[in-house]
Amino acid sequence: MNFKQKYVFLFPGLFVLIGILIFPIIFVIRLSLSGWNSYNGLNFIGLENYIRLFTDDPRFWESFFRLSFLSVTTVILQYVIGFALAHMVWKDIKFQRFFRVLFLIPMMTTPVIMTVIWRTFFHESLGPVNDILSNFGMSPKWLTDPVLAKFTVIIVEVWQWTPFMFLLLLAGLLSLPKEPFLAAAIDGASPVRKFLYVTFPLMAPISIGAIIIRLIEASKIMDTVYVLTSGGPGTSTETSSFYIFIKGLREFQMGYAASMSFTYLIIMIVSLTVIAKVLTKLMLKD
Amino acid sequence: MGKLYKILKYFFITFWAVFVVAPFLWALTTSFKDFNSVNGGATYIPWVDFEPKLEGWRVLIKSPANGGVDIIEPYFNSLFVTCTASLISIILGTLSAYALSRFTFKAGFVKNNDITFFFISQRIMPPIVLSIPFFLFLGAINLLDSLIGLIVVYIVLLMPIAVWIMVDFFNKVPREIDETALIDGCNPYQAFFKVVLPNSIPGLIVAGMFCIIFGWIDFFFAFILTFTEVQLLPVKIVALNSSITPWWSLSASALISVAPLIIVAFVVERYLSKGNLSGAIK
Amino acid sequence: MKIIKTFVTGLISAMLILSPVAYADKWGDQFPHIKATGDIPGDCSYEEMSKKNYKGKTLKINTHAVPVIGQPTALHAEQFAKLTGAKVDVTHTPAGDLYAKAMVPFKAGQAPYDIVFGFSNFINDWRQYLAPVPKKYMNSTEMKDVTKSHVGVSSWDGTMYQYPVDGDRHYLKYRKDVIDNPEYQKKYKADTGKELKVPTTWKEYGEMAKYFNGWDWDGDGEKEYGSAEVMKKDDLMFAAFFSRSVAYAKNPRTPGGFFFDLETMKPNINNPGFVEALGDWVEATKYVPPGGINFGLGDEIGSFGGGQTLFSFSWDDAFIAAMQDDSPIKNKVGTAPLPGADKVWNRVSGKWENQYNQAPYIVWGWAVGVAKKSKVQEMAFDYLCFFSNGANHQADLAIGNFGVNPFKNSDFDPQLYIKTMGWDADIANSYTKTLKDMEKSKNRVFPLRVRGVFEFTSAVATGTSKALAGQLSPQEALDEVAKEWEAIVNRVGKKNVQEDYAVGVKMEDNKL
Repeated sequence: MNFKQKYVFLFPGLFVLIGILIFPIIFVIRLSLSGWNSYNGLNFIGLENYIRLFTDDPRFWESFFRLSFLSVTTVILQYVIGFALAHMVWKDIKFQRFFRVLFLIPMMTTPVIMTVIWRTFFHESLGPVNDILSNFGMSPKWLTDPVLAKFTVIIVEVWQWTPFMFLLLLAGLLSLPKEPFLAAAIDGASPVRKFLYVTFPLMAPISIGAIIIRLIEASKIMDTVYVLTSGGPGTSTETSSFYIFIKGLREFQMGYAASMSFTYLIIMIVSLTVIAKVLTKLMLKD
Repeated sequence: MGKLYKILKYFFITFWAVFVVAPFLWALTTSFKDFNSVNGGATYIPWVDFEPKLEGWRVLIKSPANGGVDIIEPYFNSLFVTCTASLISIILGTLSAYALSRFTFKAGFVKNNDITFFFISQRIMPPIVLSIPFFLFLGAINLLDSLIGLIVVYIVLLMPIAVWIMVDFFNKVPREIDETALIDGCNPYQAFFKVVLPNSIPGLIVAGMFCIIFGWIDFFFAFILTFTEVQLLPVKIVALNSSITPWWSLSASALISVAPLIIVAFVVERYLSKGNLSGAIK
Repeated sequence: MKIIKTFVTGLISAMLILSPVAYADKWGDQFPHIKATGDIPGDCSYEEMSKKNYKGKTLKINTHAVPVIGQPTALHAEQFAKLTGAKVDVTHTPAGDLYAKAMVPFKAGQAPYDIVFGFSNFINDWRQYLAPVPKKYMNSTEMKDVTKSHVGVSSWDGTMYQYPVDGDRHYLKYRKDVIDNPEYQKKYKADTGKELKVPTTWKEYGEMAKYFNGWDWDGDGEKEYGSAEVMKKDDLMFAAFFSRSVAYAKNPRTPGGFFFDLETMKPNINNPGFVEALGDWVEATKYVPPGGINFGLGDEIGSFGGGQTLFSFSWDDAFIAAMQDDSPIKNKVGTAPLPGADKVWNRVSGKWENQYNQAPYIVWGWAVGVAKKSKVQEMAFDYLCFFSNGANHQADLAIGNFGVNPFKNSDFDPQLYIKTMGWDADIANSYTKTLKDMEKSKNRVFPLRVRGVFEFTSAVATGTSKALAGQLSPQEALDEVAKEWEAIVNRVGKKNVQEDYAVGVKMEDNKL
């Protein structure tokens, strides 16, 4: 289909978005070429920030790899768990509607506030988790062990955002056409085969979409880290966005933070494009 | 379906339900504590374990001069900003998504997928750095510290989500539907509004829900772009986080702030259960 | 001369305050907050403020979250509005965000707030956007009562930019019911061969904390621990580290800079004095409560104030929380100056000097300024002066979670705390003595207040936190901080940092 009217559909949204964003984006690029901070204004220092970032800031790159680990892990977990849950409440199950509503709720909590609750939840001397575990002689250092703290961040992220996957995938499952399943039933396919050869391929497009959008969001992970551990112990839970936050709003090195953000943006766009391509190849074989 | 699978299924679902509910229960019991019962170690059952106090809840309606935060006005501000911005985003986003799903665009190397990706890529940028240009931008058009200014910014945050989700949904609505309508003598607008849109209500519901959620839980922009006239709920609640972290009132406010969205969850679930979705695809 | 003058006026106003209030007081009836004293005469008293007319004007304030500082701001705003007819809008912001919340509009050339609350170490970044305190207020009765070090902290090279409304410092808090308990004293002596007393060195502090770590020593059925400290890698952490390092690294015989060598601007931060202190701090991770290295200030207050630990040493809050009426450990806690050390590093000779050293860290605290671009500056200063007028200040002091702490000469009178707050006499005495002695000390360290100060302190937080987490040894961690500091100095310009730092050193070397 192709009509002249197609522009009438596309342009309002596109132009509103561009109209609001054009100035901020250009400004961020300009900002990244300046030493804008607490004592300097919008001067021009060329590529100095970028040179500093690429030659003299291992902390940014460490935090970036940590971020990659955290976001990929959380998104995989969210996808697997979200898919499992959606599949389980898809068809006949008791209290179906109750579970469906319940599983949606975590993502509706405001991260800055909810993470405070999580912090008290995992508080190693005043929280309930270790209070219960101590009866079995265990007292894991949820927030103060460099390795475990990463998993605590993952747990909280998975709790909060699995519903996102769950909802998209459940909606996808509910809109699947019936014919392929009938055909599979006639062939006498086992439930596992049915899942692998019918359900999963049909769900692939929506899965890719959901994974990409979750990767984008998960990579901005910030409130969780800030409230739970402030990037600690040491730097063991520091992510790129948290590091940019520290440099930008805490130390007020806005110019430098802008150059980091812009670099981050480019890296993310490239890697998301690659990830999308790879996922499409893997999941849409046919 | 084997019996084992069924047992596993119920086990897993119960486990997850407990995991989902646990922090809320903890927040509920904490909201009735005070400084001393919080710092005396973990306790669970009011009256048995500790003496319940209503302070955590009272703080939410007291004025700051009396040590509270008075969330009533911010609550309505938040509702208004979130709903308006979501509505606009959904309208604009749906139109764009329909165009991207049905028609081919080509400008140089830019194709449909690239435009779709352009929309969603607006969410990649870490918000910290955007705060400064947004501040200057809203300052220039005199919309700082206003509900409208926040709505403008939230449209940028929310529209990409609406576009992304709606493209997916429209892709699943068979093209034959539009084509039949066109053959029946509708113009493209009529085809969209009278035939395609009614068939996409579940998609709209899902996209709308995400818009509302992402609008409702935003803290950062609401924090930077407002001063005294307009306050949104998350900003107001965070203002409770004084030197002493008040576990009790933060718990209460966490519960209060999630409440309106639970209604949204019920609405969404209703539409899903009704089977509208599968109907749409027939 | 100036000192004597301030002291004398301080004394006079102290006497004024303490003299039985003869004012059969209409203000006390109207404003229940000051019922205890009634209005106290002064340039910004209720009486004086009621003569002003600010009808139709609006005052916009950004302050801290409620209740600490935030609640008194809102309360006095309400009173001020009632007295003068002004409209006062107050917003509340968490401590960590106060800087950015004001800095973003400042940088954009706007002044959405007439009054901005922050901390005294923001002064150098903010002062170009703040109006200096006018003469009229400098000469007010209220201002004359402010102690010299708080005038110093609020001023930049003699010009006051931040209006003093609160006093903050770090000092030691300990559990009296343990340290003064003869049974524990005997037991401690038997087990360790040492006296159990208020620790005067950080080594003693560590030994006692370790001894009293991890068992139920107050018989409440819960385990108690040694010490609660701000160890979370956030914007307050560096202050805790400096409190621990002053004893080893602030040598009264080597003037000319604690953080840097003022002449060369080489960082001192990785000299053996600081390394020793960081070593102590790493050791401290063994006697903090579980999760203790993730404690922010809020956790510290909860932990010590809730009776979980033996010691704590940062701001007033933890002590005040413990002394609340409903607290289970009210009147079971004591205060003392920060511990010292048996040796102190001499950076000139490059050797340890084996003599006792103690140095108070006049840590940064709440500070508040009036925006240069504000159109209602006079009203803003009137409000601030009213905020801490005699009656308000005394009433604020008595409410623990207001977070208003002594900063006036008249505040160091133990009777104030005994009468209005029900403290035991010896606790009140040691509290006021602890605070007063800090004012008198000649070996004080003032906060770092150079431009871009957060770049420096954030580097300290990152480095020390790596050491606490065991990622780096104390020496490695501080070497990293020193390297980072040098990089920052290079970026900012050596001359600039030097110029800024000289202002602080002047105060430290008692030349101002």
